[in-house]
This record gives sequence, structure tokens and C-alpha cells, in this order.
Amino acid sequence: MSLDYISSIMQPLLQGAETTIITFLIVILLSLPLGFLITLMAKSRVKPLAWIAHTYIYVMRGTPLMLQLLFFCFGLPLLPVIGQYLVIDRFVAACIGFVLNYAAYFAEIFRGGLLSIDKGQYEASQVLGLSRWQTMSKVIIPQMIRVALPAVANESITLVKDTALLYAVAVPELLHYAQTAVNRDFTIAPFVVAGVIYLLMTLVLTLFFKALEKRFKFE
Amino acid sequence: MTSMIEIHNLKKSFGNLDVLRKVNFSVAPGEVVAVIGPSGSGKSTMLRSLIHLEEVTGGSIRIQGEALVEDGKYATPAKIKSITSRMGMVFQHFNLFPHLTVQDNLELAPKTVKKENAAEIRRRSEELLAKVGLADKANAYPANLSGGQKQRVAIARALMMKPEILLFDEPTSALDPELTGEVLRVIKQLAEENMTMIIVTHEMNFARDVADRVIFMDNGEIAEEGTPEQIFGNPQLERTKSFLSRVEIMG
Repeated sequence: MSLDYISSIMQPLLQGAETTIITFLIVILLSLPLGFLITLMAKSRVKPLAWIAHTYIYVMRGTPLMLQLLFFCFGLPLLPVIGQYLVIDRFVAACIGFVLNYAAYFAEIFRGGLLSIDKGQYEASQVLGLSRWQTMSKVIIPQMIRVALPAVANESITLVKDTALLYAVAVPELLHYAQTAVNRDFTIAPFVVAGVIYLLMTLVLTLFFKALEKRFKFE
Repeated sequence: MTSMIEIHNLKKSFGNLDVLRKVNFSVAPGEVVAVIGPSGSGKSTMLRSLIHLEEVTGGSIRIQGEALVEDGKYATPAKIKSITSRMGMVFQHFNLFPHLTVQDNLELAPKTVKKENAAEIRRRSEELLAKVGLADKANAYPANLSGGQKQRVAIARALMMKPEILLFDEPTSALDPELTGEVLRVIKQLAEENMTMIIVTHEMNFARDVADRVIFMDNGEIAEEGTPEQIFGNPQLERTKSFLSRVEIMG
């Protein structure tokens, strides 16, 4: 495992890491708000909306992520009639799959966060004259974020590693380039380097969420 | 002078269970009314229905002559909001906003609801914190306060909205005994300033000391009411006597 060899494979590995990071950012930025929207739907007094949200969460959590990715990348074009219009870029299709899957998990995390908030908080807001929207935005959501933060951090770290599933739908990312190097050069070094790069990414995330948790401590 | 609060034939039931049955009373401006009674007697439900945290099934509530509910029919949501905004409420469990500092707890509602001038809000929050003896805690979070301090913040927060009536739902029941005094002193000071108040309480000595009138509720209705001297000194009904002896005030 010479340094020369490692520096020679760094360039493609970092290129792969870039895809991993971009995928992560796209998915996290879209799935968090979508997840919150689904939480609100699940809590809605309009029964069909709540029913749709619960079914959605059930399906997305109840089937393998890999199946969902294959479905969006290779399954959609096979649908009768509309399939021919659903041939989209594999990277985009995979991102859609990730976003829809993670939104379901985030929805459940947020729902748990909302459940943890005492009804006295709603009552105090009401007697002070806050509207429903003001109560949510100024009182409930900030407290929900604090409760949800550790679980969101956990899911985010899982997402970094789940991006390796892009390998299965042939979108080149970090693991793909490592595997290519291993096959070509008959050495285990690229796997080790890839592992270190994943660890660095999750380290950054861990520190980021630690700092966030500190900010939301309210003491 | 019109009554601050007028309640007529107030009724509330959950299925077969009558929580309130035909409750009638009125409160004059500046009057302090203590509501006592065993748990489950409906006193908290009655208090909460005044500020629309509970919906009643029948009867009328008028606040300063305006009907919140008339013969079981509620006013429009906008009207309800305008009527209930004249009242403040202090809860047994304080219900402070844990994610906000003491000062922000006081200023949140004036800033978001009343949209007043920020300097005026700041002036009032400082004045009220000084009044409840917590000027040095403006930047503390509720988690770092004692129960008595939390409840005093809650009172100051309610006063920020300049209510004409203050409702207290067992304000000292969640406190350690040695912390009740500091809260009761603040309430007593408000009484001396002629704030109209209804206080649901288990503190019989306090009720005797601060109330103009005491209402004894039992089984969803007002069993007996009168001056503290009458209720504590010479209760007429057997159930009033037995309740008072249970809470050890008679001796």
C-alpha cells in the first residue's frame, strides 16, 4: 500500500466522493421538508389526507430501499402506456427514490417529536392569543426540532452510507470507483481508502449535529 | 356597573357524565373569587371554559357583557378571540415555553399578536419581571428556574397582554410547600391593585386571606358560596364542613 499508489487512485475516488456528497445534500435538503409535510398530513383532521400519509409511510418503510431505487431507475419505463415518458436520468431517478424513502423516515421522526410536546404548550399559546400558525412556527416546531435532532442525525449518517446503493443502479460514486480500482489492481487498498473517506464524511456530520444539539439545548 | 364575568346555567357533559350542571355566578370588577372543592368537582373545567380551553354543552358565559357562549351557542371564532383576549391564564404546570428565555417568554405574544413597538414591549417586560422579583433572570431559560420562579414568570407573561381578568388554575399545586409563598405574595399584590381574579386553589389559608368571596364546588355545581368568614367560619352544608375538615383548616 505505497503512498504513490494511494495518490494515484485518489483522484477518481474523490470524484466518486463528490457524487456521494452531492447526492447526500440533494436528498437531505428535499426529504426533510417533504417529511415534515407528510407529518402534517398524517396529523391532519382531513381523514383522506391522513390516510394517504400513513399508507405512504407504511409502503416506504415496509419495502427495501434497494427495491425502491431499482423501481425508479429501471421499473418506471416498463409501466404500460406512460412508461415511455418516464425514462429519466438514472441519477435523478435514484435521487427521487432516496428522497421519497427518507421523507417517510423523517416524517415518523417528526411525528414522534410532535407527540413529545405537552398539550400545555398549545394551551398557553392559545390563551396568549397566538394563531394556529404562530403556535406551530414559534412554539411547537422549535421544540420539535430539539427532540427530533438526535434521530435526524442518526438518519443522516445512515444516508451517507446508503448512497453506496447508487452502485447497484450504475451511477458511479465513491464505492464504484473503489471497486473498479480493486478489480484492476488486485489490491485491497482502495476499499480501505474509500472506508476512510466515508468515515471522514460521517465525522463532519457528527460534529455538525453535535454543534446543532448544543444550540438547541435551551439551558 | 356591569359584571366582569357572568355565568348562567353552565353545563358540560361527557356522555352520561355531567362535569358541570347548572353553574351560576358572576364576578364584579376588582373582585377576587377563590374556587375550592374536591378534585373532580368541576372547578378547573369551569375555569377553563371561561377562556375557551373547554367547550361547554349548555348555558351562557358573558365577559364584560359580551357573550362568549349564549344558551350553548358559541360566538364566531373572531368574536371568541376578541373576548378571550381580555383574560389571562396561569396554569398549574406553568406551561412556560422551554425554548425561550424568560424575557422572550414574556415578549413572544406581545410581539407576534399585538405587534406593539419593541421598545415599549421591552420596557413592560423589564417592569413586570421586576414586579415579580425576577429582574435578574431575564436571560435564564425556564429549565434553570425553580418552580416558584417559573410560576412568577408565568404570571408576568400573562400580565404582558394587559388582561382585565386573570384566571389561576391551581397555581401552587405543583410547587414544593416552601415555594408557594413567593407565588401567593405576587397574587396578593395583584389583588391589592384591584385585578379581577378567579383562583382555583387548594390553599385554604390563602383563599381566606386574599379572596373577597369563596365558592365551594362539589359534584359539578356550586354548593355554597359566601365571604371567607362565612365559608370557613360558619359553613352551612354538611359536605362543605366535611371537605374543609378533610383539608385540615377547621382546627
